Amino acid sequence: MISQDLNDRITRIGPDAPAGAVLRRYWQPAALAEELAQGDQVAVNLLGERLVLTRNDAKDLVLATRVATPDEPPAFYPDAKDIAIDPQGPVYPVENRKGLYFAYMGPGTPPDFPNFDCFRAPDSHVFAFKGLWECNWLQALEIGIDPAHASFLHRFLEDEDTSEGYGKQFRDKAAHTDMPMTQILREYPRPDIDVQETEFGLKITALRNLDNGLTHVRVTNQIFPEAICIPMSREMTITQWHVPIDDKNCYWYTMFTSFQNPVNKALMREQRLKEHRLPDYAPLKNRANDYHYDPAEQASATYTGMGLDINVHDQWAVEGMGCIQDRTQEHLGRSDAAIIRYRRMLRAAITALESGEGDLPMLNDPLASGIVGPLSNDAITNSDDWQNASQQADMARRAACPWDATV
Amino acid sequence: MRSNQLLETDGTSGPEQFDDTSLWVVVAQSAALDIPRPVLPVTLNGQRLVLFRDDDGQLGLIGRNCPHRGADLCFGRLEDNGLRCPFHGWHFDRTGQCVEQPAEPVGSQMYQQIKVPMIAVVERGGVILAYVGKGQPQTEMLHKKGGTL
Repeated sequence: MISQDLNDRITRIGPDAPAGAVLRRYWQPAALAEELAQGDQVAVNLLGERLVLTRNDAKDLVLATRVATPDEPPAFYPDAKDIAIDPQGPVYPVENRKGLYFAYMGPGTPPDFPNFDCFRAPDSHVFAFKGLWECNWLQALEIGIDPAHASFLHRFLEDEDTSEGYGKQFRDKAAHTDMPMTQILREYPRPDIDVQETEFGLKITALRNLDNGLTHVRVTNQIFPEAICIPMSREMTITQWHVPIDDKNCYWYTMFTSFQNPVNKALMREQRLKEHRLPDYAPLKNRANDYHYDPAEQASATYTGMGLDINVHDQWAVEGMGCIQDRTQEHLGRSDAAIIRYRRMLRAAITALESGEGDLPMLNDPLASGIVGPLSNDAITNSDDWQNASQQADMARRAACPWDATV
Repeated sequence: MRSNQLLETDGTSGPEQFDDTSLWVVVAQSAALDIPRPVLPVTLNGQRLVLFRDDDGQLGLIGRNCPHRGADLCFGRLEDNGLRCPFHGWHFDRTGQCVEQPAEPVGSQMYQQIKVPMIAVVERGGVILAYVGKGQPQTEMLHKKGGTL
């Protein structure tokens, strides 16, 4: 449990709120490139501000302030012809990375981009998408640094054919075995969780001791301040930001990054458009329709009764907490080790900004652009050799990669 | 999850059988739980709760948000004689007591310290009543009159 005052400090993102000030020191995903398909005038609702992606006099894309009424819905997308730029409002720089537009809304010079795999891979190997969640950004992030929940929330009571799992989370075989990931998660629900602070955030290792002297090693990452990098399949990773629209709504933005083959973007997009509407990328299964909850399915097929899309399970979990999770009522356990560690980092960053003393992760490092990786994979190995095995699996994948993924 | 209209109560209705009817309010018709998965959201004086019938046939009326990280127990798995949170499998009996935390290390006793707020309920004449008085209800009196707690 934490105090209401502390919960406010780590969740609220207005320009004068401490956590908002931290987020503003980093590049924020603002829009998908595909949102500009109809023209260069697209509404953006970001960090409590009503903005528009537009071209300035020099024909560069920038994020400008747009005229808005106070009663606009949080994820509001007026037609381009109805958007008026507010010349009094701030204008922010924008950069495109692999189909995703990032904006810098903080003071001073924007930081360098780290050299993560999602930014290094060629366009052909990265697919970006987004989706709306109606809750505060922090609870959306925290589910992504909680390795235990996958054994329950995403439990499939029966395994699917892994050869049909392209483009979906947890549908591949685990490492080099014939066990589907869904089986590992279901049968070994009490991972040991090792959390290490890194130059970019946290390295989170979930260890599931299998019965035969083998250990399943799953490495995921927290990238400060509000992203994660996790394995999706043996071929792809997910780098996902949880970006505030305001205090009570957020977008997830994901860069799916493939090591070996180009991403089948048409298929990935089609899979996700079936689950979302445009232009606000709101999920079709949502709180208003009980996420299509089916008690019979919950009894026989999935843990939630909300279908096979794990995004919907996560969305239910975080939206059900309320707009801003009431952390004065929570009881964290050992499975929450990474969440506890992350909140400590966020509080340290808030204190550093307020006091003017101390550095924020990646920002004051002249070599930030040299930060590579992160290691993000599944491996199965002899239990006493798990650290080495995870490293070896990562190096092998990078060595076989057609683009420069060396670390 | 949509609330049954009957579940919204102003706290004024109550059966004549009880000496002080103001302490007991109807939160549901028994028939509303005659469904394959007897779990219903209940809002009582602004408090968000979940009502369920366990394998013993007994009723539980407990806080709606899981005390772990706040997930919505109205979508819980009704199994093992209680309600299980789909987020991490924490399992609660009809008194709101946590009885299992399957993601915590083997041997962890943390669950013993975890309890969801519980409201006493009785089922009488086809209606389910919740206790809204202070302290514990007078259980002896209710048992004499055929109620179940």
